[in-house]
Amino acid sequence: MTSGRLAVLSVTVAAATLVVYVGLFRVAAVRNHPEGYVIGFAAATALAGLALARARRGPAWLALGLSSLLLAGGAWVNFVVARVPATPTVLRVGERPPDFTLPDASGRPVSLADYRGAKPVVLVFYRGSW
Amino acid sequence: MAELQGLGAELSDAEQAGVQIIAVSPDPNEQSQKMAEGLRLGYRFVADRDLAVTRRWGLVHAGGGPTGQHVPRPATVVIDRDGVVRWYSISTNYQVRPDPGDVLRAVRAL
Repeated sequence: MTSGRLAVLSVTVAAATLVVYVGLFRVAAVRNHPEGYVIGFAAATALAGLALARARRGPAWLALGLSSLLLAGGAWVNFVVARVPATPTVLRVGERPPDFTLPDASGRPVSLADYRGAKPVVLVFYRGSW
Repeated sequence: MAELQGLGAELSDAEQAGVQIIAVSPDPNEQSQKMAEGLRLGYRFVADRDLAVTRRWGLVHAGGGPTGQHVPRPATVVIDRDGVVRWYSISTNYQVRPDPGDVLRAVRAL
Protein backbone atom coordinates (compact mmCIF):
# COMPACT_ATOMS: atom_id res chain seq x y z
CA MET A 1 0.00 0.00 0.00
CA THR A 2 1.24 3.50 -0.78
CA SER A 3 2.17 6.00 1.88
CA GLY A 4 -0.84 8.17 1.03
CA ARG A 5 -3.31 5.32 1.32
CA LEU A 6 -1.81 4.19 4.63
CA ALA A 7 -2.15 7.77 5.93
CA VAL A 8 -5.81 7.87 4.88
CA LEU A 9 -6.39 4.46 6.49
CA SER A 10 -4.75 5.67 9.71
CA VAL A 11 -7.00 8.74 9.91
CA THR A 12 -10.04 6.59 9.08
CA VAL A 13 -9.25 4.11 11.85
CA ALA A 14 -8.72 6.95 14.36
CA ALA A 15 -11.97 8.68 13.37
CA ALA A 16 -13.97 5.44 13.36
CA THR A 17 -12.66 4.60 16.85
CA LEU A 18 -13.80 8.00 18.13
CA VAL A 19 -17.20 7.80 16.45
CA VAL A 20 -17.90 4.24 17.64
CA TYR A 21 -16.94 4.94 21.26
CA VAL A 22 -18.80 8.24 21.58
CA GLY A 23 -21.76 7.14 19.46
CA LEU A 24 -22.24 3.80 21.20
CA PHE A 25 -21.39 4.94 24.73
CA ARG A 26 -24.80 3.77 25.95
CA VAL A 27 -24.07 0.23 24.79
CA ALA A 28 -22.60 -1.62 27.76
CA ALA A 29 -20.35 -3.78 25.56
CA VAL A 30 -18.70 -0.62 24.15
CA ARG A 31 -18.72 1.53 27.29
CA ASN A 32 -17.30 -1.22 29.47
CA HIS A 33 -14.29 -1.76 27.23
CA PRO A 34 -12.63 1.66 27.19
CA GLU A 35 -9.32 -0.05 26.37
CA GLY A 36 -10.94 -0.54 22.95
CA TYR A 37 -10.41 3.10 21.99
CA VAL A 38 -6.81 2.97 23.19
CA ILE A 39 -6.25 -0.05 20.93
CA GLY A 40 -7.96 1.75 18.01
CA PHE A 41 -5.74 4.81 18.40
CA ALA A 42 -2.66 2.58 18.75
CA ALA A 43 -3.58 0.83 15.48
CA ALA A 44 -4.00 4.23 13.78
CA THR A 45 -0.58 5.30 15.10
CA ALA A 46 1.02 2.10 13.80
CA LEU A 47 -0.53 2.65 10.34
CA ALA A 48 0.75 6.24 10.30
CA GLY A 49 4.20 4.98 11.25
CA LEU A 50 4.03 2.53 8.37
CA ALA A 51 2.96 5.34 6.00
CA LEU A 52 5.91 7.42 7.14
CA ALA A 53 8.30 4.50 6.61
CA ARG A 54 7.08 4.25 3.01
CA ALA A 55 7.55 7.95 2.27
CA ARG A 56 8.25 10.94 4.48
CA ARG A 57 5.48 13.09 3.13
CA GLY A 58 2.95 15.57 4.52
CA PRO A 59 -0.09 13.27 4.79
CA ALA A 60 1.92 10.64 6.68
CA TRP A 61 3.20 13.24 9.17
CA LEU A 62 -0.32 14.60 9.57
CA ALA A 63 -1.72 11.12 10.23
CA LEU A 64 1.04 10.40 12.73
CA GLY A 65 0.48 13.69 14.55
CA LEU A 66 -3.26 13.14 14.79
CA SER A 67 -3.17 9.49 15.80
CA SER A 68 -0.37 9.82 18.34
CA LEU A 69 -2.15 12.77 19.94
CA LEU A 70 -5.34 10.71 20.24
CA LEU A 71 -3.36 7.74 21.55
CA ALA A 72 -1.63 9.81 24.23
CA GLY A 73 -4.88 11.55 25.22
CA GLY A 74 -6.88 8.33 25.21
CA ALA A 75 -4.30 6.44 27.25
CA TRP A 76 -4.11 9.29 29.75
CA VAL A 77 -7.90 9.40 30.19
CA ASN A 78 -8.31 5.64 30.45
CA PHE A 79 -5.32 4.73 32.61
CA VAL A 80 -4.88 7.88 34.70
CA VAL A 81 -7.98 10.12 34.83
CA ALA A 82 -10.66 7.40 34.90
CA ARG A 83 -8.88 5.10 37.34
CA VAL A 84 -10.75 4.71 40.62
CA PRO A 85 -8.49 3.52 43.43
CA ALA A 86 -9.70 0.56 45.48
CA THR A 87 -11.11 1.38 48.91
CA PRO A 88 -11.92 -0.91 51.82
CA THR A 89 -15.69 -1.30 51.54
CA VAL A 90 -18.03 -2.62 54.21
CA LEU A 91 -20.09 -4.42 51.56
CA ARG A 92 -20.16 -8.21 51.91
CA VAL A 93 -22.38 -10.57 50.00
CA GLY A 94 -24.66 -12.31 52.50
CA GLU A 95 -24.47 -9.49 55.06
CA ARG A 96 -26.66 -6.53 55.87
CA PRO A 97 -25.05 -3.22 54.95
CA PRO A 98 -25.33 -0.28 57.36
CA ASP A 99 -28.75 1.39 57.16
CA PHE A 100 -29.06 5.03 56.15
CA THR A 101 -31.64 7.78 56.03
CA LEU A 102 -31.16 10.39 53.31
CA PRO A 103 -33.48 13.06 51.88
CA ASP A 104 -34.97 12.51 48.44
CA ALA A 105 -35.35 15.29 45.85
CA SER A 106 -38.39 16.71 47.64
CA GLY A 107 -36.79 16.47 51.08
CA ARG A 108 -38.62 13.35 52.27
CA PRO A 109 -36.41 10.95 54.20
CA VAL A 110 -35.66 7.58 52.55
CA SER A 111 -34.29 4.68 54.60
CA LEU A 112 -33.02 1.38 53.36
CA ALA A 113 -34.96 -0.22 56.23
CA ASP A 114 -38.22 1.12 54.70
CA TYR A 115 -37.97 -1.60 52.09
CA ARG A 116 -37.09 -4.48 54.37
CA GLY A 117 -39.73 -7.19 54.09
CA ALA A 118 -41.31 -5.31 51.18
CA LYS A 119 -39.14 -4.96 48.09
CA PRO A 120 -35.65 -5.74 46.89
CA VAL A 121 -33.53 -2.65 46.32
CA VAL A 122 -31.00 -1.80 43.65
CA LEU A 123 -28.82 0.89 45.13
CA VAL A 124 -26.73 2.95 42.73
CA PHE A 125 -23.97 5.25 43.94
CA TYR A 126 -23.14 7.75 41.22
CA ARG A 127 -21.21 10.94 40.89
CA GLY A 128 -24.02 13.35 40.25
CA SER A 129 -25.08 15.24 37.19
CA TRP A 130 -21.80 16.88 36.23
CA MET B 1 -28.81 14.29 32.59
CA ALA B 2 -26.63 11.75 30.83
CA GLU B 3 -26.30 9.96 34.12
CA LEU B 4 -30.05 9.39 34.34
CA GLN B 5 -30.22 7.96 30.85
CA GLY B 6 -27.33 5.71 31.81
CA LEU B 7 -29.20 4.55 34.88
CA GLY B 8 -32.30 4.03 32.78
CA ALA B 9 -30.47 1.87 30.30
CA GLU B 10 -28.97 -0.11 33.13
CA LEU B 11 -31.97 -0.52 35.31
CA SER B 12 -35.32 -0.06 33.59
CA ASP B 13 -35.56 -3.82 33.09
CA ALA B 14 -34.65 -4.42 36.72
CA GLU B 15 -37.39 -2.02 37.79
CA GLN B 16 -39.92 -3.97 35.80
CA ALA B 17 -38.81 -7.00 37.77
CA GLY B 18 -40.34 -5.32 40.85
CA VAL B 19 -37.42 -3.74 42.64
CA GLN B 20 -36.97 -0.28 44.10
CA ILE B 21 -34.13 1.65 42.54
CA ILE B 22 -32.47 4.18 44.81
CA ALA B 23 -29.82 6.43 43.29
CA VAL B 24 -27.42 8.03 45.78
CA SER B 25 -25.21 10.98 44.85
CA PRO B 26 -23.84 14.13 46.44
CA ASP B 27 -26.15 16.24 44.21
CA PRO B 28 -29.63 17.35 45.28
CA ASN B 29 -31.04 15.81 42.07
CA GLU B 30 -34.36 17.66 41.74
CA GLN B 31 -33.92 17.65 37.97
CA SER B 32 -33.05 13.96 37.84
CA GLN B 33 -36.15 13.15 39.91
CA LYS B 34 -38.39 15.25 37.65
CA MET B 35 -37.01 13.59 34.56
CA ALA B 36 -37.43 10.12 36.09
CA GLU B 37 -41.04 10.93 36.88
CA GLY B 38 -41.49 12.27 33.35
CA LEU B 39 -40.23 8.93 32.08
CA ARG B 40 -42.52 7.16 34.57
CA LEU B 41 -39.59 5.56 36.30
CA GLY B 42 -40.08 4.87 39.99
CA TYR B 43 -36.50 5.77 40.87
CA ARG B 44 -35.83 7.62 44.09
CA PHE B 45 -32.92 10.01 44.03
CA VAL B 46 -31.45 10.69 47.43
CA ALA B 47 -28.77 13.21 48.28
CA ASP B 48 -25.73 12.35 50.37
CA ARG B 49 -24.50 15.94 50.38
CA ASP B 50 -21.49 15.46 52.68
CA LEU B 51 -20.84 11.85 51.52
CA ALA B 52 -21.32 10.64 55.12
CA VAL B 53 -23.22 7.50 54.05
CA THR B 54 -20.95 6.92 51.06
CA ARG B 55 -17.97 7.15 53.42
CA ARG B 56 -19.51 4.77 55.98
CA TRP B 57 -20.00 2.24 53.15
CA GLY B 58 -16.37 2.69 52.10
CA LEU B 59 -17.18 4.11 48.69
CA VAL B 60 -15.48 7.51 48.60
CA HIS B 61 -13.07 8.26 45.76
CA ALA B 62 -10.93 10.86 47.52
CA GLY B 63 -10.16 13.82 45.27
CA GLY B 64 -11.70 12.04 42.28
CA GLY B 65 -13.94 14.87 41.08
CA PRO B 66 -13.09 17.22 38.20
CA THR B 67 -12.00 19.96 40.60
CA GLY B 68 -10.45 17.58 43.11
CA GLN B 69 -13.51 17.20 45.32
CA HIS B 70 -14.40 13.86 46.88
CA VAL B 71 -16.92 11.83 44.85
CA PRO B 72 -18.51 8.39 45.20
CA ARG B 73 -16.91 5.37 43.56
CA PRO B 74 -19.53 4.27 41.03
CA ALA B 75 -21.18 1.26 42.67
CA THR B 76 -24.30 -0.86 42.20
CA VAL B 77 -25.63 -3.00 45.05
CA VAL B 78 -28.46 -5.54 44.89
CA ILE B 79 -30.18 -5.98 48.27
CA ASP B 80 -32.86 -8.61 48.87
CA ARG B 81 -36.15 -8.29 50.79
CA ASP B 82 -34.40 -9.15 54.05
CA GLY B 83 -31.99 -6.27 53.58
CA VAL B 84 -29.06 -8.58 52.78
CA VAL B 85 -26.52 -7.80 50.04
CA ARG B 86 -26.80 -10.39 47.28
CA TRP B 87 -24.56 -8.85 44.62
CA TYR B 88 -22.48 -5.76 44.13
CA SER B 89 -20.12 -4.16 41.69
CA ILE B 90 -17.73 -1.28 42.34
CA SER B 91 -15.99 0.41 39.42
CA THR B 92 -12.21 0.57 39.29
CA ASN B 93 -12.47 2.76 36.16
CA TYR B 94 -15.25 5.31 36.14
CA GLN B 95 -16.00 4.75 32.48
CA VAL B 96 -16.96 1.17 33.32
CA ARG B 97 -20.37 0.41 34.86
CA PRO B 98 -21.99 -2.94 35.53
CA ASP B 99 -23.45 -4.72 32.56
CA PRO B 100 -27.25 -4.31 32.84
CA GLY B 101 -27.52 -8.03 32.14
CA ASP B 102 -25.47 -8.81 35.26
CA VAL B 103 -27.61 -6.52 37.45
CA LEU B 104 -30.75 -8.08 36.03
CA ARG B 105 -29.46 -11.60 36.62
CA ALA B 106 -28.66 -10.72 40.24
CA VAL B 107 -32.18 -9.28 40.69
CA ARG B 108 -33.85 -12.28 39.10
CA ALA B 109 -31.81 -14.66 41.26
CA LEU B 110 -33.39 -13.19 44.43
